[in-house]
Amino acid sequence: MIVVQHLTKRFGAQTAVDDLSFEVPVGQILGFLGPNGAGKSTTLKMLTGMLEPNSGTATICGFDLLREPIEVKRHVGFVPESGAVFESLTGLEYLEMVAALYAIPPEAARARIRQFIAFFDLSFETLTDKLLGAYSKGMRRKVVITAALLHNPPVVFFDEPLDGLDANAAVGFKALIQTLAREGKTIVYSSHILDVVERVCDRVIIIDKGRMQVDGRPAELLAAHGADTLERLFTRLTGGTELERRAADFAKTFRP
Amino acid sequence: MIPTPGQSSPAAPLNEEAKQHAAGAMLGRAAASPERTLRRLFLTLFLRGRSARGLRKESAPNSVGSKLALTLVFYALFGLFALVFHGQPVFALSVYLHGMTFVFLGLFIAASAGEVLFNKEEADILLHRPVTARALLRAKIGVLVEISLWLAGAFNLGGFIAGVGASDGGGSFPVVHAISTSLEALFCTGCVVLSYQVCLRWFGRERLEGLMTATQVLVAIGAVLSSQLVPRLIVGVGGQMRLAASSWWIGLLPPAWFAGLDDALAGAGAGSSWGLAAWGVAATVVVLWLAFGTLARDYGSGLQTLNESSTPRRKGRARRRWIEVAIAMPPLRWWLRDSVSRAAFLLTAAYLMRDRDTKLRVYPGVAPMLVFPIIFMVQDHAKHGKGDFGVAFAGVFLGLVPVLGLTLVQYSQQWQAADLFRAAPIAGPAPLCHGARRAVLCFLTAPVLLVFGLLAWVMRGQVSELVLLIPGVIALPVYSLFPNLGGKGVPLSLPTEEAKSAGRGLTMMGVMVASGLLAGAATWAWSAGWFWWLIMFELAAVAALYGGMRASISAARWPPME
Repeated sequence: MIVVQHLTKRFGAQTAVDDLSFEVPVGQILGFLGPNGAGKSTTLKMLTGMLEPNSGTATICGFDLLREPIEVKRHVGFVPESGAVFESLTGLEYLEMVAALYAIPPEAARARIRQFIAFFDLSFETLTDKLLGAYSKGMRRKVVITAALLHNPPVVFFDEPLDGLDANAAVGFKALIQTLAREGKTIVYSSHILDVVERVCDRVIIIDKGRMQVDGRPAELLAAHGADTLERLFTRLTGGTELERRAADFAKTFRP
Repeated sequence: MIPTPGQSSPAAPLNEEAKQHAAGAMLGRAAASPERTLRRLFLTLFLRGRSARGLRKESAPNSVGSKLALTLVFYALFGLFALVFHGQPVFALSVYLHGMTFVFLGLFIAASAGEVLFNKEEADILLHRPVTARALLRAKIGVLVEISLWLAGAFNLGGFIAGVGASDGGGSFPVVHAISTSLEALFCTGCVVLSYQVCLRWFGRERLEGLMTATQVLVAIGAVLSSQLVPRLIVGVGGQMRLAASSWWIGLLPPAWFAGLDDALAGAGAGSSWGLAAWGVAATVVVLWLAFGTLARDYGSGLQTLNESSTPRRKGRARRRWIEVAIAMPPLRWWLRDSVSRAAFLLTAAYLMRDRDTKLRVYPGVAPMLVFPIIFMVQDHAKHGKGDFGVAFAGVFLGLVPVLGLTLVQYSQQWQAADLFRAAPIAGPAPLCHGARRAVLCFLTAPVLLVFGLLAWVMRGQVSELVLLIPGVIALPVYSLFPNLGGKGVPLSLPTEEAKSAGRGLTMMGVMVASGLLAGAATWAWSAGWFWWLIMFELAAVAALYGGMRASISAARWPPME
C-alpha cells in the first residue's frame, strides 16, 4: 500500500531524511519512531505531499507521490503533530469545509460528522456554536482526527494523535485504529508514547538522524536486541544512555 | 437529516459507513467544488480573523467585519470629494478616481497579501488535502479582489455620480467605470502576487521571508508616492480641470490607463485614451497570465518553504550575540537596568529582526510614513534651495515611527505565548512596555533619524541646520510613551486580526496633525530667531508630560484576560 524508495530531504546543509526506504502492506499499523529531530515529521509531510523530497519517491495506493500528488492526497488522511485548525471557524464549519475539499456531498458529510461526534462524545451544540479557538486541546484534537478520517482514506498517517486526548478518548482511539487496520486500512503511527506503540503497532521502524535504525515486529526486535521493553530498545538505539543517572544528578541541582 | 443543536444520533458502526462510502453509496446533493469551498473559507477567515480565544460564534470575532464596514463608510465619505469634478471632463475625474483607488488598493493588498498568501499554520491544515497550489492561489486572489472591489466601490460611489454629470460624460459612465475599476483591482492584486512569484523564482525560496517584507515595503511606498503625484497632475485652465502640459509621463502610470478606458468608452473618446485603454487591458491580461498561470507553480514552492521554516542558524546566533554584547555595555546597560525591561527589549528586537509576521506588519506599515517628510524636504529644496519646514517636519514626523512601531509590535501570531508575562511575578505591564519601547526606539527610530539627518545634510550642505531636527527628537520620549498608556503596549500580546483597526488610522491622523503643528512652530521660531526659546519651552513641556505618562504607565495593572 505504501512503498517508500530512497526518500531524502535536505534543508540547506542539513539532511533531515537520508535515503529512507520501506514498504507497508495493506492493513498494517506501522509505528514510526525516533527522537526529536530524527526526521519523522518530515517523512510524514513528504508522504502526504506537503513537502517535496530532494530525491527518491514513494507510491501510495499505487499513485506516485511526485507525478500524482493530488491522487495521493485523496487517498490519505493526516493528523499533523501541530493539530492546527482555523480557529475562527466553528467545529462544524471546519469539518464541512474539509468534507467539501474531498467532494463529499453535504448530507453525507453531516451524517458522517454525527457519527464521529457520537464516537468522541462531543456535543453537536459545541460543534455548531463554539469557535475552534475556544475548544480545549483534547476537543480540538478530536476535530483534527475527525477531519483526517472523514473521507474514509485507505491510508492514514498519525503524528502524535493522542496529544491532548483524555484517558477514555485515548483508549477509544487506540481501539478504533486497531479495528480500522483489521478493516483494511494502512496506518502509520508516529509517537513518543512507546508503550502505546508497543501495544498497538504490528511493526516498528526507528529512525535517527534521518536514517533507519531498525525495522521489524516489536517482539522480534526486542528479542533480537535483548531488550525487555520498546523504551529500552529505543534509548539504546538513539543514544539515550544513562538517562536515570543523569536525571538523578540534575535533580540534585534543585536542592536549596 | 440535518440534526438540530443538542441532538445526537447513535453511532453506526464506522466500518459499515466506510464500506458504504467506498462503494460510492453517498448520494444526494453534490458537494461544493473545492475552489468554491476555499474561496468561502478564505473570505470567512478574512472577515473573522484567523484566531479566537474563548468566544462563541455570535459574540466574536466579528470585529474585523465591523471594522471593514466602518472603513467602507469612511471611504464612501472620502470619495464624495469627487463631486467637485461635476461638470469637468471624464478623463480628469477618472485620473483622480483611479489614482486614489490605486493608492487605497495598493496599501490594502500590500498589507493583507502576506498574511493571506503565506500563512504558516495553513500548511498543516491544507497542504495535505487534494487541492492544487493553483486552486489555493486562485481562491485567495478571489478574496483579495472581492474585498478590493468593496473598498473601491465604496470610494467610487461619489465618482459614479460625478461621472454622469461630467462635461463629456453620461449615463454609461458608472458601468464603464465599474469595469475599469474591476480591471484595476485585478491589476493591483496581480502585480503584488507577481512580484512575490518573481522574487521566489529569481532569489529562491530560502530568502522568501525577507523578500516578502521588501516587496510589501516597496508596494506601500509606491502607493503613497502615487498619492502624492496625482494631485500635482491636474491644473485648472479656464474653469476646466486639465492634465498639466508637463505631465506627458502620466501615460506611464497605471491609473492613467484605466482612466483612458473610462474616457474612451464613456467620455470624449480621444485617440490617446484608446491607446491608454488598450495598454491597460493588455497589461492586466499579461500580469494575470503571469501571476496566476505560468508562475503559479512557484506559489506551491513558497507554501512549502513556510512549512520547512528554517532561518539561517549562524546568522541568528551572530545577531543575538551582537545584541547581547550591546545591552551589556553603556549606554544600553544604563538604559535597561531591570531584567524584565532587558528581556522585553531582547524579545522585541528578536521579533523585529527575525519574525516574518512581525516584519511584514511593521516595516510596510512604517515605510510609507517616511515618504511624506522626504517629499517635503525635496520639494522645499527644489523650490527655494532651502528646506526649513521640510527638515523640521522630518524631525517631528519621527514621532510617528515609535507610535506606529509600538502599536504594531503588540500583534503576533503567537500572542497566546504572552500569557507567560502574566504568569511571571510582575505587578503590571510597565517594565515590558518600557523594554519594547526602547527596542523600537533603537531599531526603528534611530535608523530613520540617521536617514533623515543624512538627507537634510546632503540637501542643506551644512551640519549647523540639522538643529531643526531637535524639536522632533525632544518629543520622541512622549511619542514613544503614548501607545503604552494604560499599560497597553505589551509586545506580541494581541491577536493579529486586531491589527486591522480603523481606530489606529484616526490615532495616526491625530499624531500627524500634532507633528505638523510642532513643525510649523519650529519653522516659525527658526525664522523669527526664537528657536532656542522654543526648545526650552518644549523641554519643559516634554518633561512634565513624560513624568505624568510614566507615572500612569507604572500604575497600570494587568487587565482582565477577557
